Amino acid sequence: MSNIYMPDLMEVVEVKQHTADVKSVKIKFKDPEKQAKFSFRVGQFGMYSLFGEGESTFNICSSSNWKDHIEFCFRKTGKVTDALWRVDEGDTIGFRGPYGNSYPMEAWEGKNLVFIGGGIAMPPIRCAIWYALENRAKYGDITIVYGARTPRDLVFTDELEKWAEYDRVRVIQCVDPGGETPEWKGEVGLIPNVLAAANVPAGNTAALVIGPPIMIKFTLPVLDRMGVLAPDIYTSLENRMKCGVGKCGRCNCGPVYVCKEGPIFTMEQLNALPADF
Amino acid sequence: MSETITQQALRALVDEWIGAGTKVAGPSYVKKDLCQYVPLTSSAELLLEGFIHPRNSVKDFFFPRHEKIYEYTLKGHEVELADMTPASTPQVIVAARPCDTAAVAILDAVFNWGEKDEFYTQRREAATIVALACVTHDSHCFCTSVGIGPDAEKGADVMLLPLDGGFEVRCLTEKGKTLFAGRTQPSDKTAVIPEGPKVKVSPEQVRAALEDYDNPLWKTATLRCLSCGACSFTCPTCHCFDIVDEGNAHGGCRAKNWDSCQLCMFTKHASGHNPRNVQGQRQRQRTQHKFRIYPDKFGEVLCTGCGNCARNCPVSLGILGTLVELCAEMPKTVGESK
Repeated sequence: MSNIYMPDLMEVVEVKQHTADVKSVKIKFKDPEKQAKFSFRVGQFGMYSLFGEGESTFNICSSSNWKDHIEFCFRKTGKVTDALWRVDEGDTIGFRGPYGNSYPMEAWEGKNLVFIGGGIAMPPIRCAIWYALENRAKYGDITIVYGARTPRDLVFTDELEKWAEYDRVRVIQCVDPGGETPEWKGEVGLIPNVLAAANVPAGNTAALVIGPPIMIKFTLPVLDRMGVLAPDIYTSLENRMKCGVGKCGRCNCGPVYVCKEGPIFTMEQLNALPADF
Repeated sequence: MSETITQQALRALVDEWIGAGTKVAGPSYVKKDLCQYVPLTSSAELLLEGFIHPRNSVKDFFFPRHEKIYEYTLKGHEVELADMTPASTPQVIVAARPCDTAAVAILDAVFNWGEKDEFYTQRREAATIVALACVTHDSHCFCTSVGIGPDAEKGADVMLLPLDGGFEVRCLTEKGKTLFAGRTQPSDKTAVIPEGPKVKVSPEQVRAALEDYDNPLWKTATLRCLSCGACSFTCPTCHCFDIVDEGNAHGGCRAKNWDSCQLCMFTKHASGHNPRNVQGQRQRQRTQHKFRIYPDKFGEVLCTGCGNCARNCPVSLGILGTLVELCAEMPKTVGESK
């Protein structure tokens, strides 16, 4: 007998504030045996609980090669995230997972990778970037295009600098027009335009695009013009979920249960689904 | 030849189950004109005739509208959790309508695929379902349109078929045989059950009509929907739920509560984006789920034609009306050519 809704208890190891309303949290299993046994694939998600407040769904934004903890990142925007904002080192939270499918890191081997993220979409891309960099020899050129409204809305900025130091990695940062500050050294422009002007070679390429629906909508034609095909463009559908295990009936997009068959889909798969997202 | 039981003997048997500590539920008038499936304290409360369909469904006894999934106690930085998975207590559902018992068999698929929902499966395994065939129907009934009928045996352990002064008893499973062992009398009478409501639509035809995702019908036909969720809550097959915390600074519980795809917050993202922002999209989702998504995934239509959605709808907008309208628009050959 097992209760599939029962979370594991996790200790908060570290909390890091990225912007005025975004934090990332490192957690580890209270039970060292469970921590040692736990494994996941980058791209999978978890259900995180703050007891008394509720449960929320976030991607596991740490690399699956990091064995001593997992990380998640959130924007303070509702009941659970408002409460998570107050969480500090040593506190206890709940975790269920890992759930869902993952990035096809094996299928991407030998390919050039283009990661495109907008705003709070960096965390679910970050896990794949670290995974690729930790297995650097297996992947071709890596291009990271990351944009936000203003420099103050960019998250994991210290890591962006670290990634740029790796061999054959190009990091392009941009902010929306009008969002730039006098100190801003990156690009100014919307992600699709910045990507179009960046002259990224697109042969033998897999692209991961995550961000607000409007950003994805305008980025797809740019990728198309670059020659990246629909089966090679990936995104994550971040639908509202409750159970995470295909019971509660909330996250479906047409015939697909996002929690079980997603959250990662190729554009080819999404094109075959009804516009229900 | 058949096995039969008199109404009096059946009531005595029900009282025996109750006396032995088994939880027994069945249709009963909870107040004037309101018949519901409720836990019974005596067979005198049990209705065996004179009702069409209770206002709720038997899903209530497997998937309650509110149930604790665990309790938590907060102690400074520490949290203690207590599992609330129910113990498997034997229960008998008696005089369940065939459309309700069939629904339970259909729900087994979703609660068992991948991870098992023990809250449902524990109750399900410990339950024996005694169905009662229908001798009459109302204008809302459409079981025959979705492959069920007034004496459909799907999901039932025992089928009771009304006879003069009693019932023909068909024990369909081992559980059913155990429950009625030695209680029935052989007889040369067999029950004759009427055919039930006229077939109004076919699932194949509906399935084909649902291929047109942008049918303008979803905008027009659902304008009067109030988004109250009564259809889902009283539907024997609707099984969507929410998971919420209820408690204070010291402790509380996490609970599974019924939810409905008809409610506006159901799919609303934290960002404010809502994939199903208007009522037409939500009605479409409910119909798609029942006649396209669930059949494609689990091989069965998620509707048993009980008519409760129409019976309980404050604006008389049952799913049957939508289906008929949807299929009427279709050229006749579309459904048949599939």
